Amino acid sequence: MTKSFEEIRKKVADGDAVVMTAEEFKQYVKDNGVRKSAKDVDIVTTGTFGAMCSSGAYFNFGHSDPPIKMQKVWMDGIPAYTGLAAVDAYLGATELDETNNMLHGGAHVIEDLVRGKAVRLRATSYGTDCYPRKELDTYVSLKTVNQAVLFNTRNCYQNYAVATNSSARTLYTYMGKLLPEFGNATFSSAGELSPLLNDPFYRTIGIGTRIFLGGGQGFVIWEGTQFNPGVPRTPDGVPKRPAGSIAVIGDLKQMSSDFIRGLTFTKYGTSLGLGIGIPIPILDEEMAKSCAVTNDQIFTAVFDYSEPTRSRTVLREVSYSELRSGEIAIKGRQVPTSSLSSLAKARQIAEILKNRVIKGEFMIEKPIQNFALDRVFKPLDVRTEKEAT
Amino acid sequence: MKTKVVLKFSPEASNQPITHNLIAKHHLVVNILRAEIDEFGGKMVLELSGKAEDIRKGLEYLKANRVGVRPIKEGVRRDDDVCTHCGMCVSICPTKALAFDPKTGKVTFTEEKCVACGVCIDACPPRAMEILI
Repeated sequence: MTKSFEEIRKKVADGDAVVMTAEEFKQYVKDNGVRKSAKDVDIVTTGTFGAMCSSGAYFNFGHSDPPIKMQKVWMDGIPAYTGLAAVDAYLGATELDETNNMLHGGAHVIEDLVRGKAVRLRATSYGTDCYPRKELDTYVSLKTVNQAVLFNTRNCYQNYAVATNSSARTLYTYMGKLLPEFGNATFSSAGELSPLLNDPFYRTIGIGTRIFLGGGQGFVIWEGTQFNPGVPRTPDGVPKRPAGSIAVIGDLKQMSSDFIRGLTFTKYGTSLGLGIGIPIPILDEEMAKSCAVTNDQIFTAVFDYSEPTRSRTVLREVSYSELRSGEIAIKGRQVPTSSLSSLAKARQIAEILKNRVIKGEFMIEKPIQNFALDRVFKPLDVRTEKEAT
Repeated sequence: MKTKVVLKFSPEASNQPITHNLIAKHHLVVNILRAEIDEFGGKMVLELSGKAEDIRKGLEYLKANRVGVRPIKEGVRRDDDVCTHCGMCVSICPTKALAFDPKTGKVTFTEEKCVACGVCIDACPPRAMEILI
């Protein structure tokens, strides 16, 4: 049997939708089978919370008197990009101040704003006939700005690599602290709770999908950068490497510091800890089957991050059950594992989203347009102008 | 009885055979979990085993010799409001004081197992861990 988006939306509006978290649904399928589960359940809620570097927020600060055409902008000392109209600026999560203080980057300023704090805004300019002011030094908060919008170009990776380190020294990476001689291995996916791993071919997640974003509501606005659906997959279609990703947008003013955090990766930089949840409508048995996927059926590759190349050797493939067990075997050694993605928060997000859908506070959306499955992820080579043309 | 303590030595006390005296004169079994010395003196994390009375006298002996004594619970602190329970610390903690509980999905911190090595401090992305010694 099949259900349309419209039928499921009507059930949500009428308060009749049967909604389960991804973990509850997997158990339900084990107990009742795919066919009955597809019939009984309307929506499955997923969740993930992890470091999502390609994130940032844009602001419209309003106009000062006399007004200024901001040419350089700092928010609590962190430079924001303002090559836009006079008082618009974009603050990137990984941006650092001039001293490279990694304990307080763009992501930390975004967290401070979400916590309701005031942030020092400095701007300089050359002055124009219409914007005569050359300097501005003031404070702003989410209460004072016109728009504060989280706008992220790549979030919510569908699967990610496992990092380890064969070298003799500790490595400090975006995958965390990697101890020497295979001292540990780190991974960064919510596995069976992760949104895109429950919809491996992006049937229900596309442009226009309404999502839980940082505690508020947001939308998927495009494929994420580096979108790469053509990676090796299991016979069930689950990607075994980093594959899809999404670009998202949402009102920062709705968000909560429970799901938006400034993170520091020592000697690497800053990133944004962000919570995303996506409701997946169970349109048919195929969707029920994809949402039934469990950690023992999701695989990824282990890479040696001491290899300074973009194409590192795959040391082995490993399932998320093995990663979650606390250790994996690499080259004959038992190596302790760490997650960079919070399972506790992923569960919390799936649960909150379930309750919001049940209460009718969160409506599911049919994608306006699905992602293109023929996208490829191209490398950057040093080329001549002719070769690039 | 067993107890873990953090000792702080002044530069003068660093030259005394204090650990030897704990063993020889106070009959304690001493397990050195961590030791370091610099221009400001020395720091040690010890596990002391022995009779309760001997441990009490041993700690008195340390205090009388101007060695700062603090319980291990005051070695490393986790700010539970900051921790996101990601689990980055779990694989680098040498004593498994930080461990992942698959049932709750949360990272547990067993202070009694901590030796205040500090490896977790700069590994924690939201910076929830603080070393106090």
